[in-house]
Amino acid sequence: MTKSTGAITGIQAMRGEGVHVSQGFWADAWERVVKRPGAIMGLTWISIVALFAVLSPLVASGHPLIMWELNEAGERGAMSSPLLANLKTVDWLILFWTVVCGVGFLLPLKLKRSTKLGWIIALSLQTVLTVIVAAMVKGYASARDASDFVRGLEQSKQFVPAVSVLSALLCAGLFLLAPTLRNIWKRIVFVAIVGAVAATAIGLTWKAPPPRYLYMQRELAGEIEAIYTVVPWSPSQRVTDRSAQRLEPGESAGSALAETLTVELPLMGPIGADGVDTVISGISDLPLRPEQKDDVRTAFQKWAEEEQAARAKDPKYPELDSQRATSALRDILYADGQPYYLGTDNMGQDVLSQIMHASRLSISIGLVSTGIAVLIGVTLGALMGYFGGWIDMMLYRVVEVFMAIPVLFTLIVAAGVLPRNTYVMMAIIGCFTWHYAARFTRAEFLKLRNQDFVQSARAAGLPLRSILFKHMLPNGVTPVLVDSSFRIALAILFEAILSFLGLGPVDQPSWGRLLSDAAGDSGAFAWWLAIFPGFAIFLTVLAYNLLGEALRDAIDPKLRKARV
Amino acid sequence: MLAYVIRRLLLMIPTLIGITFLVFMLFALSPGGIGAALRFSGGGGQSGQDARAQQAYLEDRYGLDDPAAVQYVRWLARISPIKFGNRDQRDPAGTIIRPPKPLKEPSLIGVLYGSRDQLVKPSPVVPAQLDDAPDQRNSAYRNAASNYQNERLDFIAAETDLRLALSTWGTTQGIRKVLNAKSKLDPSKLRGLKLPELVDGAVPITNVPQAIRDQGTAATSAYIDASRNVVQAYERAIAVHNEAQKARDHLANVYAGKPYPEVGFPIIPGALSVGPPDFGTSFSRSQPVLALIRTALPVTLLLNMIAVPLIYLIAIPSGILAATRAGSWFDVCSGAFYVALWSVPVVWAGTLLIGFVANERSGLGWFPVAGLHSPEADAMPFLPVWGQTNGFLLDTMLHICLPVACLVYAGFAVLSKQTRAAMLDNFNADYVRTAKAKGVSHKDVVMKHVFRNSLLPVITMFAAVFPAMLAGSVVVEKIFSVPGMGKLVLDGINLRDRELLLANTLMIATVNLLALLLADILYALADPRVTYD
Amino acid sequence: MANTATTPSTTSKAPTPKPIMRVDDLAVSFDNGRGPRIQAVDGVRMSVYPRQTLAVVGESGCGKSVTAMSSMQLVPRPPGRFDRGRILWTGSGGEVDLLTLNDRQMREIRGNDIAMIFQEPMTSLNPVYTVGDQILEAILLHQNVTAREAIDIAVQAMDDVGIPNPKARLRAYPHQFSGGMRQRVMIAMALACQPKLLLADEPTTALDVTIQAQILELLRELQQTRDMAVMLITHNLGVVAENADVVCVMYAGRVVEYANVFELFSNPMHPYTRGLFASIPKMRTRRDRLVTITEVTENPKEFEKLPGASEGVRPWWPWHTPPKDLKAAPGPAGDYFLQEVKPNHWVGVWRTAAVHDHESRAPDLTYRIVDDPEKIALRPKAEHLAQSVGGD
Repeated sequence: MTKSTGAITGIQAMRGEGVHVSQGFWADAWERVVKRPGAIMGLTWISIVALFAVLSPLVASGHPLIMWELNEAGERGAMSSPLLANLKTVDWLILFWTVVCGVGFLLPLKLKRSTKLGWIIALSLQTVLTVIVAAMVKGYASARDASDFVRGLEQSKQFVPAVSVLSALLCAGLFLLAPTLRNIWKRIVFVAIVGAVAATAIGLTWKAPPPRYLYMQRELAGEIEAIYTVVPWSPSQRVTDRSAQRLEPGESAGSALAETLTVELPLMGPIGADGVDTVISGISDLPLRPEQKDDVRTAFQKWAEEEQAARAKDPKYPELDSQRATSALRDILYADGQPYYLGTDNMGQDVLSQIMHASRLSISIGLVSTGIAVLIGVTLGALMGYFGGWIDMMLYRVVEVFMAIPVLFTLIVAAGVLPRNTYVMMAIIGCFTWHYAARFTRAEFLKLRNQDFVQSARAAGLPLRSILFKHMLPNGVTPVLVDSSFRIALAILFEAILSFLGLGPVDQPSWGRLLSDAAGDSGAFAWWLAIFPGFAIFLTVLAYNLLGEALRDAIDPKLRKARV
Repeated sequence: MLAYVIRRLLLMIPTLIGITFLVFMLFALSPGGIGAALRFSGGGGQSGQDARAQQAYLEDRYGLDDPAAVQYVRWLARISPIKFGNRDQRDPAGTIIRPPKPLKEPSLIGVLYGSRDQLVKPSPVVPAQLDDAPDQRNSAYRNAASNYQNERLDFIAAETDLRLALSTWGTTQGIRKVLNAKSKLDPSKLRGLKLPELVDGAVPITNVPQAIRDQGTAATSAYIDASRNVVQAYERAIAVHNEAQKARDHLANVYAGKPYPEVGFPIIPGALSVGPPDFGTSFSRSQPVLALIRTALPVTLLLNMIAVPLIYLIAIPSGILAATRAGSWFDVCSGAFYVALWSVPVVWAGTLLIGFVANERSGLGWFPVAGLHSPEADAMPFLPVWGQTNGFLLDTMLHICLPVACLVYAGFAVLSKQTRAAMLDNFNADYVRTAKAKGVSHKDVVMKHVFRNSLLPVITMFAAVFPAMLAGSVVVEKIFSVPGMGKLVLDGINLRDRELLLANTLMIATVNLLALLLADILYALADPRVTYD
Repeated sequence: MANTATTPSTTSKAPTPKPIMRVDDLAVSFDNGRGPRIQAVDGVRMSVYPRQTLAVVGESGCGKSVTAMSSMQLVPRPPGRFDRGRILWTGSGGEVDLLTLNDRQMREIRGNDIAMIFQEPMTSLNPVYTVGDQILEAILLHQNVTAREAIDIAVQAMDDVGIPNPKARLRAYPHQFSGGMRQRVMIAMALACQPKLLLADEPTTALDVTIQAQILELLRELQQTRDMAVMLITHNLGVVAENADVVCVMYAGRVVEYANVFELFSNPMHPYTRGLFASIPKMRTRRDRLVTITEVTENPKEFEKLPGASEGVRPWWPWHTPPKDLKAAPGPAGDYFLQEVKPNHWVGVWRTAAVHDHESRAPDLTYRIVDDPEKIALRPKAEHLAQSVGGD
């Protein structure tokens, strides 16, 4: 066509001109997705959460980043890093692989994006599986009712290296079957590297000391000098002091200390000079460094003198009472204490630290449980759709059973009676939501089964494996994958709800559990416990929903053309 | 149509069996197995007496030693309306009464103790002659029952002691874990051992096995003590057992005398009858489950009956509005707003509403914080009296407002988007072009042609919205302390109140399935192409 | 041939000297998202006279449906847009431009003066209403009658299109009809208000061959009895031969040839039209294989056969570079002109100097076969063509 004007004619449009030539189905869809502002916002938030999921052990921890032992003269001695020493196996592995994969993605390796993605999925699956196997062995060996033989094994020197190597080998063998790489030798090398890293991490972090957060006390006693990380609290670190519970954002343990001090003063009425003395002598009982104590004492004395001077000048000036004294002391101590940026919960644990650490649970529970659901659902759905007949009839009855009752209800019952840990939580959410994927896949396969390209593949005598996996599966799973973003959002929502109801993983920070602390038993409402964790859940769910919307609009042609 | 509805109703039965089986198996999978409630409640909250009562109840009802599947079938038989054997009786409180089960023997008595001679055998049932007065009959049964119950509890206590003694005795012989994880005796471990013979209530040194004597005096004396304890525990267990056996025989006789009216209709007298399902007694609340559900289910249904029409009332107009102005700022804004709205976790919305709207200290204090009625609601007149009282109706409305708001917002966001998508889909349909070519005005095209067709997917959405609402109301009821099904379930969960949870599962699944059936019928009414023949 | 074609001045039988609808330099384009705009129709001219059947022929995407839809303002806007041109309608109230009517005025015309039937009888009826409801809706909208009278009209309309037992069938839903019957319902609905012009957009494409013939027969009959003009949009030359009075061949949004059916079939002048005919199998001819359209249009010699070729009159063809002596008029589509290369025979040509200086009148044929007794007998000659290409 020689016409140089911008427009093309209908004939050209019919011949396919003016149509954007795509690079492949998913790449094309992805390109359309990232053009939408909603999807960008969603992706940004998910990246932030993922970042915290990776870095939270480094960013928020009650263990000092660097610690020096001090001798009696106050000189620095041996240096150590309790933070790194207290990292768990999973923390190490996540940090290591994030760095490696990040570098791998940035390096101009001549690899397709999908290949890199495939490798990352393969290595994370293998790593996770290895860790779980090792954890199971560890749990079995250290159980209270373990037999003597197992006990004996656990005591032996070779036990830890043996378990880590064996579990790594086991999983490596399994993943050798997965087609990550065409070339078998390359695949062996890949799997071996992943296994070796996992085994090393497991072996090195086997015996984790129970975390004790005595650093601040030791620091006060002048035994050590410590530099903390950004948020100097671990999620499970509790301030034993009752008054440190439910501190508002910005309050510090120092202000909590001042609260404890008030009990020794008369609650009402003027306290006079005696009261000031009581407070000052009380300060020496506070867990503060000697020079800090001096500072606080001086500051308080100065304040008391000013008060007296004011009263001498003006007889109407109110007398010194315990309430004003406390608030003054609070202000003084506040400048000294370590503030809780987002307050504390009902048990005196830092909220910000918990929110950061909980992002890992949120991210992983969404991905893993949806992964489980898709895996089960697509497998069964494909079987039903392709074979039909009695297989379909039997399996579809099962699907109907799962559909008969609201998912959340079954989840509540399951989470209520089964052990409360992260893995079980992932498994139950996955196992009770698979029927959606199964129905989608089944419908799609029923449609595909009679389509010409499948018929011709069958007529050409292709083996069943090829028909199912090469010709039907890529077409059949599209609706499931488009839907999966919404499913991830839903899984996160389910986790939050279950945790809110007190059925979530125990000893694991969770946004939902924090939220449930907001309306306390006493009926008092802690707004910071409602706003911050709630907002985190909301944003994450919203991010996945926006992403899902964008993906669906990008892929579903029916919706794409829907204009009046 | 009728045939279709009947077929669907019949198909619900296997589905319901499937879902309850699933939940039952979850109990079986849980740590501690089906009897876990015993350990749970034994540890905290309940006294030992209560725990034993619960164990007795569960043993009667399920036979805790049987495999999970057998126990499930037993439960099914209880709730099945078709019963075999003699008809059950119902006491004035509404509890279904059944003949007493055979009493168990003390553990391993045949294996270790040598003989069962000392045990009293159950005697054949002779129907007792009871008074005609219902009160007399009732008290006769009550006495017999409570007598048996007491003896039974003693026996369970003695049995527990016996198991502990056996476990200690097993340990002296180097056998670990005689009691398994469910604190049950593992008979395979003790089989092959023999209790030493006692002489004057003590074990002579000669009766101690040589292997233990070789270990030294400490081991030997431990063995002797443990053995004596076992024998004493056996003796006590046998004595208590015999008492319980007598009480049981008496109870069986009284029962055979038919102290209460029988339930159901006989089909073949003495063999087959149709009776009401027996959902058992909740042990967290010590009430018949059916009575609990009867008060809770209407509350949940009330919430949903208000929320579902509300959702449709808001969603459909806003969806139509968005569709007719597709691409306009209203459409874009409402679209974004709906995505945001349906991403708001219901727990968060509930917490915020309580904190900022309902709570008087931290919020506006506009609505009551919890419950379905004010404490004084029963004394109120039904309708409000200006300046004096809100009245029962308004009081309930005020209580319901926030829970309903929590239920509504997400569903209406989803439905509104769905309506919009369906409308847009139909705007492109060929028949719309036909209608326009006929000269039908835009308004009529939208309201008459497009909307009527878009109604079909919106009705289908009911099948997705309703279960979500039902489940959502579980959470909402918990947040706002509304005494509905959800609260019942969540309260039961922590105590593993098996009867309550199973019955609740059954109820919620039934309500859900009926709602889905309703959606299908509505669909057939709305779409002339669909016929269920 | 030229002498057989009638012109308005020589026919006394012509009922009206004015065309009922005249399309003048119509251009419609569509937004195509990220791709370039699609110019579906660009500078189309044609006219329809009362009781005449104008066949618009061309391959998919050539703009024939868009032309018809534009005349009812059924082109969705956006993404569609009327770039320029007029569609002049001569109704009871004089001549109006259909493109400038507002929504209310347009509704007066739709269904009442101009009716349309569509390609897909399966989806063109609303599935949730009975066919009675849908026919009645049209009647009640345009005619001032009571519901009872409207039912009578509807029954009559269904009877006219040959639906058996019309009274009972009024209460039936579209899915209870077969495809052919549904198309009859569509026609009944379209004709219930006695329109002056019927736009038939490929009315038989989705039907099987025997039903096709029945429906076309029905249309012809109804046209005779109702004094109605028909614009028949099709890509089936057999249908054209059997039904059309005047044929308009379109390609790439423009008219490439315009003549009465006999003139066109016996003397196609544009290479594309010749290609179309050459690609049709003919009875009693021996050929190894059919000639494709491209074989004709790719032959440069084919483009030098127009009368006046020596002066530089060249058939317009979008895939060719314009000739050197192009004297394009300002504005879009200035490189093209629909020139009357011989009396009553128009061909789309490049606007070369030769054309520019001797611009002809716009296409305008009042020809109708029924007015031409000699030719009625010749109809069967075209019919063999219809049979040979019928089953597409």
